[in-house]
Amino acid sequence: MKAYWQLTLAQLRIFLRNRQVLFWTLAFPIFLMVMLGSFLGNGNGMSVTIGYVDLDHSSQSKQLAGVLKKNEAISLEKAFSKKDALAQLKQGDVQLVVEVPKGYEKRMKDSSQNEKPFSLPVFYNETDMAVSQIGQQLVYNAVDAVSKQKADYKPAVVINPKGVEALNLRYIDFLVPGIVAMMILSNNMNGVAGQIASWRERGILRRMQGTTLKAHTFIAAQITARLMLNGLQALIVLMVARLVFDVEVRGSWLTLISFVILGTLAFMAIGFIIAGIAKTPESAGPIAGFLSFPMLFLGGVFFPIKNMPEFLQPIVHILPIAHLTTAMRETMNVGASFMSLGTEALVLGGWIIGAFIVASLTFKWE
Amino acid sequence: MKGYLALFYDVVKKWGITLSSHETIIKAEHLVKRYGDFYAVNGVDFEVHRGEVFGLLGPNGAGKTTTLEMLVGLRKPDEGTAWIGEFDIRKDLERIKEVIGVQLQSTTLFELLTVEEILKMYASFYPKHISIPELIEDMILTDKRKSRIKSLSGGQKQRLAIALALVHDPWIIFLDEPTTGLDPQARRTLWDIVLNLKQKGKTIMLTTHYMDEAHVLCDRIAIMDQGKMIALDTPENLVKNLQSDSAVEFRVDENAPFHLEDIKGVTQIGGHKDVQVLYTDNLQETLTSLIETASEKGLKLTDLQTRTATLEDVFIHMTGRSLREG
Repeated sequence: MKAYWQLTLAQLRIFLRNRQVLFWTLAFPIFLMVMLGSFLGNGNGMSVTIGYVDLDHSSQSKQLAGVLKKNEAISLEKAFSKKDALAQLKQGDVQLVVEVPKGYEKRMKDSSQNEKPFSLPVFYNETDMAVSQIGQQLVYNAVDAVSKQKADYKPAVVINPKGVEALNLRYIDFLVPGIVAMMILSNNMNGVAGQIASWRERGILRRMQGTTLKAHTFIAAQITARLMLNGLQALIVLMVARLVFDVEVRGSWLTLISFVILGTLAFMAIGFIIAGIAKTPESAGPIAGFLSFPMLFLGGVFFPIKNMPEFLQPIVHILPIAHLTTAMRETMNVGASFMSLGTEALVLGGWIIGAFIVASLTFKWE
Repeated sequence: MKGYLALFYDVVKKWGITLSSHETIIKAEHLVKRYGDFYAVNGVDFEVHRGEVFGLLGPNGAGKTTTLEMLVGLRKPDEGTAWIGEFDIRKDLERIKEVIGVQLQSTTLFELLTVEEILKMYASFYPKHISIPELIEDMILTDKRKSRIKSLSGGQKQRLAIALALVHDPWIIFLDEPTTGLDPQARRTLWDIVLNLKQKGKTIMLTTHYMDEAHVLCDRIAIMDQGKMIALDTPENLVKNLQSDSAVEFRVDENAPFHLEDIKGVTQIGGHKDVQVLYTDNLQETLTSLIETASEKGLKLTDLQTRTATLEDVFIHMTGRSLREG
């Protein structure tokens, strides 16, 4: 027990005295968060660029443009001709084209005499259905608002705006749990792999093997020290997110911390495996990189897992990082309870057990 | 009656001393370590007595470190075994680790910890340990106890490595090339430390490729070469067995028709490459004869020097190679 505490203490001292590592492991996630958060974090999680072709040039058509512009999810781009706008649509510069034909104002003014409503042509890209549909919905809402105003419509039922707000997550809310998960992945997997491989190379582990120290005491101390440090780092990143971007944790902190612990253990175990496989500290880095890069891109750190191509889905759903990001996101954004995240906890638990078994088989003191 | 009793006590005392000074504490039996077809250690037997300083002398790659690492449990012997006290290195490694202290050749320590911190950490690995401030004092590190390991000099690091080997008060201390790479001053400091440990009754087994070090520190020396033990005795006996007091060393053109056997007083001929070594009990006679012969044949002797025979000569004599050649 004395050895366990002394080793934990030693590891924490080494962490805290290695200022450079300490700084950069913290600076990177915070930098990433501030960068991505500032560029993409303002406004809605998703925005649609709509090409607006105004052939009517009337106050009515300007009013419609105004209504569309008011929606934060829409960025309106004026086009001079339909041809230009459609070319932009094909290139993907805009996701939707709304054409206001000549005579729009005229029709609107005497709309009461017409049975048939005015039909507004909306062009969309068939290959990008998801965005097109959201865009169409947004245009529909705008047109609907205009028509209702016109008809002096009084709604009998209104939707609860609070509900709309809750679903309307900003990108930064999506991003922060992902970044915390990424930090857990890289600090533990890459950190353990690099450190253990280098300690082995330098004979530090070998010297300890010459004492009565047990391997499990050593590993337990490593885990404890890293859990403490990771908890602290995750907390700092969350504090920055809270102070700078007003990101909050909607679920319980206990659930969040539980997943930080599960993630730390899972990636540390994988790190121990890499340290076991890597013959030199130089090869530990690329091996860890080979594993961490696909996980960062496929595992829902920056982009939603749902956006991944269909054929990758089965792979994505095995990755521990995918379950960690999902669990952290559900906890922070939606406020899910630990019980409702049973699948994620189980998969991570499976990874922890499996990886520690493999790690103990591949672990070498020298 | 009184006289008999005194005699009896004398005998007991004498025998007692004799017995205790020859109490075997390490016993190696036919140790073999193979790497593929290569025999790093090829059937080594020896015994180390309690309280002595036992040296393994030999060039790099002779198998010294491998032998030592098998004894401390860092490598498994392919054949043979060894006992530390009554513990077998194949079975009782955990018990052995409690009674031995090791300083390994290429150890680095946690550079960011201080001297005191790392000693406390290593002390915590064992069931019991000695006073750390005293240990730091003994290893002449008191000024450095709050310094990070990174900032220590080579000699200080080596003394710290020895301190770590002593922290749990072991019976036997294994030192693998303790002075390699140190400056002369630091080497002497380390020698004092080793001799002090001997005074305190510790058994020390060390490896070295410095023959002066082996001579100063060791009670007995085992000379190793190419995985085999080629000699084992006290330094004095090893040199004495050369049967020559002095050595004459010189260079001469290799192709010269020079019969060294003809030179007077030569007991043995050694040498390597173009350096010739003549061993003699009569330095003056040999030297005169050598110069006369060379003059007669018109040969040019260079780098001529004479010295007393040393362990280096023992090694050259036995292997035909110098220690430093490896």
